[in-house]
Amino acid sequence: MSRFLVVTLPLTGHAYRAVAVADELGARGHEVAWCGPKTYFRPLLGPDATLFPTGTRLLRDQAEHGIAALKSLWERYVVPIARFMLPAVNRAVLEYQPDMVVVDQHALAGALAAHRHGLPWATLVTEAMELTRPLAALPRVEAWVRAQVAALCREADVTDADFDPLFSPHLVIAFTTSALTGEQRFPGHFALVGPAMLEPPGDFAWDLLDAARRKVLITVGTLATGLAGDFYQRAAAAVAPLRTTVQAIIAGPPGSLPDPPDNVLAVPSVPMLALLPRLDGVVSHGGMNTVSEALAHGVPLVLAPIRHDQPVVAAQVVRAGAGIRVPFHRVSPGQLREALVSILDEPSYRRAAIRIGDSFAAAGGAPAAAERLEQAVRTALLEPVWKPRSAAASTPMVPSVPPSKAMCPIRACRWHHRCRQNRGRY
Amino acid sequence: MTADDTAPADDTALADMAGALAAATGDDSLLSAGITATTRLEGDLYLDSLDVAALGAVLRDRFGTTVDLAGYVAGLDIDQIIALTVGDIAAYVDRCLQ
Repeated sequence: MSRFLVVTLPLTGHAYRAVAVADELGARGHEVAWCGPKTYFRPLLGPDATLFPTGTRLLRDQAEHGIAALKSLWERYVVPIARFMLPAVNRAVLEYQPDMVVVDQHALAGALAAHRHGLPWATLVTEAMELTRPLAALPRVEAWVRAQVAALCREADVTDADFDPLFSPHLVIAFTTSALTGEQRFPGHFALVGPAMLEPPGDFAWDLLDAARRKVLITVGTLATGLAGDFYQRAAAAVAPLRTTVQAIIAGPPGSLPDPPDNVLAVPSVPMLALLPRLDGVVSHGGMNTVSEALAHGVPLVLAPIRHDQPVVAAQVVRAGAGIRVPFHRVSPGQLREALVSILDEPSYRRAAIRIGDSFAAAGGAPAAAERLEQAVRTALLEPVWKPRSAAASTPMVPSVPPSKAMCPIRACRWHHRCRQNRGRY
Repeated sequence: MTADDTAPADDTALADMAGALAAATGDDSLLSAGITATTRLEGDLYLDSLDVAALGAVLRDRFGTTVDLAGYVAGLDIDQIIALTVGDIAAYVDRCLQ
């Protein structure tokens, strides 16, 4: 039995992946604790979960598009939330004494705390923004992002040149497969496990679905609600003329579609995983959750990316042949209808989606992630995070216990040399 | 803030740019969208990196291989990319052709 501390962000696309993996760890007899804002995580995790609260911080709105959105993602969200969470994560590490910290790629406080305490940690890659380095074509933008990360590390008193809070040196779990990322090779400690799926609670009026027509879900996710209304209007206009053959379910905030055509069901949310086996197509903004869940069910997509990693996800899906990209802001009802009819009528799109879905199934999802985490804990026991330089020539399989180990309050902090918390004591 | 301090592009150059943008995005409404030298690619036209790549291909086809939009954009910093305008692109193409 091992103990895992999960540090993630209060965002559906991030938190749900971690919950799916944590559920699997729990089923295998491990202990899992969480660190994050109570207002978000307590309802999600239930009353029995161990939760170290960080408090809640309201962060300013981000820009809506492009590189401006990327800039504000870092300046107004990723960096401030890391700064805000770090003291609470440090306390959680000391109190819970995990064997491993499981860190969302953009929850940088988890990586910083784990590193400071000499604990092994794993990265959960829940978006497409970093893994394949889509910003490589814009070197000065990429350098700007690295500079934000470096400044945060300095501020947190972590100065090791080779430390990267975005990618653990121990284990990187990415919820995708090479069917989407392409032929790029990754190091051995990268595990591409496919999506770890979890169904949020939700109800649906199943009797309203018409078995005789093809069914399409239209959703732009949980973040883009401010932009959604106008897109849903155009989407409704796109599907209205298809009323004899297509039934659309539009999942959006109440009131975003006041007068839907009669072949459109407007609902506030859907039980995605239960609904997907009955769907023929999905129109989405390209969030990793929606896209990978659709592909896991072999459902092709029309993607209208808005910001952040969504254009990257859309490009991956298009390259794999499982969907068509349309411009979110400019697409007309006619263009949207044309794209939708293509993914529904041309079997190549569904075939490609099924191919990707098969690769997801083979990759193993949450159980595979849990297995890799177990392995990583075992490896960390044998190969300490920190290796004494003089022993490099003959590293023992089981390292000798440091003489002052008993003094370190962190159970798994065997290599306290790196542990700032306790540095003064030795 | 613009990426270059060159003079604003003339009407012909702007019409060329609007044509190239329409061809790159497949969106003919851009031809009559009132594009000016100060129209921002990202903030006003909502172009993303894929659109810019497509625009690069169109400009190369129309103006020759000396026009390397990807190379030009790669040299810009984050604020220059956010502020990049149609006029900046027109001025860049103009420099390439001189």
